[in-house]
Amino acid sequence: MTQPFQHARVVRATPSSRIAMSLCVIVLVGLVTMPWWASSGNIRWAIELSCYLAIAQMWNLLAGYAGLVSVGQQAFIGVAGYMLFVLAQNFGLNPFVAVILSLIAPAVLAVPTYLLLRRLDGPYFAIGTWVVAEAVRLTTSNIDYLNAGAGLTLRVMTQYSQHEREIAFVLLCALLLVATIGGSYWLLRSRVGLALTAMRDNPIAAASQGVNVGQLRFLIFVAAAVGTGFAGAIYYMAQLRITPAAGFDPFWASMSIFIVMVGGIGAIEGAIVGALIYFFADRLFGEYGSAYLIVLGLLTLIIALYARGGVWGLLKKLGDHPWFPVQRKLVLEDKR
Amino acid sequence: MQWLDAIIQGVLLGGMYAQYALGMALMFGVMRIVNIAHGDVMILLSLIVISLAGVLPLGNIGLIVVIVPIAVLLGWVLQKFILNKVVGADPLPSLIATFGLSIALQNLMLEVWSADTRSLPNSGIASASFEIGGIYLGVLPVLVLMCAVVLTGGLDAVLRYSRFGRGLRAAAADTEAAAMTGVDPKRIYAIATAIAVAILGLAAVFAALRATVSPSDGSAQLIYAFEAVIIGGMGSLWGAFLGAMVLGVAQAIGLRIDPGLGILFGHLVFLAVLATRPEGIMARKK
Repeated sequence: MTQPFQHARVVRATPSSRIAMSLCVIVLVGLVTMPWWASSGNIRWAIELSCYLAIAQMWNLLAGYAGLVSVGQQAFIGVAGYMLFVLAQNFGLNPFVAVILSLIAPAVLAVPTYLLLRRLDGPYFAIGTWVVAEAVRLTTSNIDYLNAGAGLTLRVMTQYSQHEREIAFVLLCALLLVATIGGSYWLLRSRVGLALTAMRDNPIAAASQGVNVGQLRFLIFVAAAVGTGFAGAIYYMAQLRITPAAGFDPFWASMSIFIVMVGGIGAIEGAIVGALIYFFADRLFGEYGSAYLIVLGLLTLIIALYARGGVWGLLKKLGDHPWFPVQRKLVLEDKR
Repeated sequence: MQWLDAIIQGVLLGGMYAQYALGMALMFGVMRIVNIAHGDVMILLSLIVISLAGVLPLGNIGLIVVIVPIAVLLGWVLQKFILNKVVGADPLPSLIATFGLSIALQNLMLEVWSADTRSLPNSGIASASFEIGGIYLGVLPVLVLMCAVVLTGGLDAVLRYSRFGRGLRAAAADTEAAAMTGVDPKRIYAIATAIAVAILGLAAVFAALRATVSPSDGSAQLIYAFEAVIIGGMGSLWGAFLGAMVLGVAQAIGLRIDPGLGILFGHLVFLAVLATRPEGIMARKK
């Protein structure tokens, strides 16, 4: 028998991913140039949307790939926010440098949290993270240095003009998106990504194939904490004010769960679709308050019961056009 | 004396938490499901009780007689339409589904009952107390604690000695093997959920008598129930009871030190147990 083909190569990009990648570059350029063409109201929206995208992507990495369902990510949002306020306000550090330094706080909190909670089974792990978040919130509200329950205000921001602040914010948001979405994409395409995908599908089988599930989960938990904290620091810097009730609000967890479940868990695209849906739904229906939240809750319930893949899962049924392809495709070519 | 008083009040508070924790321990033990809406269901039942008391001239006993069947019905609906669809090895669907339900329930209650705190009209029992050796004990908290002891003991006996209990333990150990020997897991699940929610119905009346309730209180109750179950040791009813006592005492002592520290102390004791004895204080040695 002759060789049926002469040349084989691995293809990763698809036409849809090339379009998506170009769009990402355009969006990033658009975001960074916003202070020169957009109103400050729109910039505020862009900051908010960037934070949602990042927080949801991190939750997707946790729950969708590492099998770590957390309802306590607000702990990392709050500690990063508080660290930023303390560094900038009390220590007089440049706030835009302090944002980066404040990422130490979620990383430091994530290590003992994971080591304590890793012994808990799936659903108990989730409520365990919630307890940690509540404990951190209550501790914060009892520390006088942090102004207890009244919270902190970022007065140092007044030394910058609005234009300067906006430039810094859009750059930070671009960095946040590249770090969280780009980082997830890079991670999932790497060797670690193969292990993560295997773990998503079956942790026990993955372990038997030589994946160090425990270590990988630990790394993902810490990385997600840092990414979530980054978004939290930017969000509360834009708000100029943080209180324990807001920074550690369990609503952050509800929001992540809603975004990722509705968008589609276990896919980068899912979290993005979900964040866009949530952002615009919030703009359109947010004024209805509790009625709107009833619908959000029921929607999450229905998706968990009947359509686990979310909107992205439904879109995928129409045709497989990944924006961020993580699979490898072997193409066999006959060169004769 | 002050600390002895704190411990006793903590044990009485623990009686309340034990009633929340019992249903959770039962449901998790059987189905490996944590119902995130556990606390919200309790608050819903409390609010229904309060509204019923406004229109029907029932005594407290009458209210219990009315609310427990409602609770059983609610448990059946919960089981039939939600939990049965998400029971499985993967904990994610059940978590997400009940999380969605929790948000929907909380906001539904907010729409119906508004954010006001409410309680059952005081019929005297809520403020009655007696004195033993210089320590004042509320009649109602003592009643709640006694009720919790009877419920735990009764449920434990049912699990140990009845046919249903054997089926339940078999289904918890290995669902498929139990099904082969003639146990119907779906029926077992339905009964377990009905019992768990019925206990919540009783707890709901006590909660409405003892303090105020508002639609957003459910999450805190869920966390207390959960902490009690973990502190005590998973899969043990008396463990959950003891865990509730530990939690209640921790909160009462924290509260005496500083009013802002009560709940935090409970969380810290929970985390300390997790760090030093993750299998829980009542778990059997392996």
